[in-house]
Amino acid sequence: MSGHDFHPLIKQLLDGDITLADLPAELHAEGEAALRLLAAVDRTDVSMPAVTWRVMAALERRRRRFLPWLLAPALAIAAALVIWLRPGTPPPSAALVTVRFVLVAPEARQVSLAGTFNQWDPQATPLVRAGTTGVWTATLTLPAGQHQYAFVVDGARWVPDPGAPAVDDGFGRRNSVLTL
Amino acid sequence: MIALVAIPLTLLSMQQAGRGVIAQRLAGRVSPQIASLVEELGAAASARGLPIDPLIQKAIEGNAKGVPRERVATALRLVAMQLDTAAAALRDGGGGLVSDTLAIAAGEFAITAGLSRSDITALARTGANAAALTVGLRVAGTLAALGVPPAEDIGLVSVALRSGEPASSLLLLPANVQSEMAKGVTPAQAAAGLARAAAAQARHGPPPGHGGGHPHPPAPPHP
Amino acid sequence: MRPRSQAADGEIVRAVLAGDRERYAQLVERYRDRYARYATRMLGSMDAAEDAVQDAFVRAYDQLAQCKDPDKFVGWFFLILRNRCFAERRRNRTSASLEAADGVAAEDRTEGVVETAERRRALQLALLELTPDQREVFVLKHVEGLSYTEIAERLSTSVPSLKMRMHRAYDKLRDELRDHT
Repeated sequence: MSGHDFHPLIKQLLDGDITLADLPAELHAEGEAALRLLAAVDRTDVSMPAVTWRVMAALERRRRRFLPWLLAPALAIAAALVIWLRPGTPPPSAALVTVRFVLVAPEARQVSLAGTFNQWDPQATPLVRAGTTGVWTATLTLPAGQHQYAFVVDGARWVPDPGAPAVDDGFGRRNSVLTL
Repeated sequence: MIALVAIPLTLLSMQQAGRGVIAQRLAGRVSPQIASLVEELGAAASARGLPIDPLIQKAIEGNAKGVPRERVATALRLVAMQLDTAAAALRDGGGGLVSDTLAIAAGEFAITAGLSRSDITALARTGANAAALTVGLRVAGTLAALGVPPAEDIGLVSVALRSGEPASSLLLLPANVQSEMAKGVTPAQAAAGLARAAAAQARHGPPPGHGGGHPHPPAPPHP
Repeated sequence: MRPRSQAADGEIVRAVLAGDRERYAQLVERYRDRYARYATRMLGSMDAAEDAVQDAFVRAYDQLAQCKDPDKFVGWFFLILRNRCFAERRRNRTSASLEAADGVAAEDRTEGVVETAERRRALQLALLELTPDQREVFVLKHVEGLSYTEIAERLSTSVPSLKMRMHRAYDKLRDELRDHT
């Protein structure tokens, strides 16, 4: 069958001019295969928020090209001034909360904790095993706010906290959530 | 447009400080290409009044987890997009909440947890001030992460926000839902039950035997 | 559909031409995402697409005085973007399509969607094997959802010639996908 083109009726099907029901029986399988091809089309919306700023910055750069180099960064500076002086509410009260993290992992040789509070560094916060049980713990004092974390087992396996709420980490895994 | 005419040279150091903050936090923690993408997205985000912290965190996280560069880039663009959506949602909620970067970051977290732009707008429309709404959004995201469906989630958090519950009470909602769930009810049922109790309390005051306590403070005027 | 308080495209174009450069950002904001998807599917990479959209807007600004009908800015802009996409030199195919695939994978939140992501990626790769003309008619019809009549109007061509292009595209896609399964 390789090298054969789609039957003209299949092409009408793909164009949306006819439906599967309009196809003769012997073309049904091919029709379904063709529709599966269409189903693989990626129609997700795409958003490019950065483009606005990039376009306007490009236009400004070109407009100012004739100015000495010293003044050219001033434009970016002026924009930066707006950025860094933009008012925001002061951070919430600097309340600190002591949190105990626990993972039951009898087979593990080492367990550590990595999250937004320690730059996701798997080496920064090791857990301590309680005797010969499989219970690993660590106690941290963290500021009030929103934190995400995961346990790192044996330096390589990232494991969310089974007892905590979990969210997609954007990389195909889950992070645990700590809202203080 | 910003006039070039009288910009003093001292601002040169301001720009360097600005760039420096992102570079400093990323130093040694991400590849140069990712660092440059974060700077670019961060500059665009800042220019739009969006927080840059979520971008920095995601880049560091991706690097620590050994994620391939292209995947980190995609995740960063997603965060940028979600920040935009959160800001748009707050804008729709009115009350000037969109100028609060912590609220936007909290909205971005809520979206990551599965809530929608209209869910965020619904919470913004409760009239809560920025600080309360920020906590409300974090809690809503956490409840979603527990499996509470959006309707029950927003239902519970908006009741709590409208009754002027202090942050400490809002922050207990996920734990309360979890303990209800431990008794065997679904997340939806747990949240709905708590919402009903909270609404009743708001109407009638605390149930007998729970002490008079002090009256709920009125919801503060929004900025 | 636009709220009455927002200016029409023609008004903004005329204001920019009269010296109010900053208002161009309103046009960018209004249309950048509408064409982001077209550019991404045409070029197979979000990075390349962002560059193309950015370049097209800058070019449109440069040539704004030549926009014959300011009220029809969007159609005129589309042709500039289209030219820019067609002119794009073929980048390293592998890295470009990897991005397209990862974009899908990152946004899928459910388990077991690997197969769908693979099929999407395979189709995007196959699309890049078509001529730009064939790819464009496929994207405009099957991604953007335009009818043949609408596409013909946009590209100033005829429906029969579009169908011929599309039908060749279907056959080529079938070959490409069969070879790579």
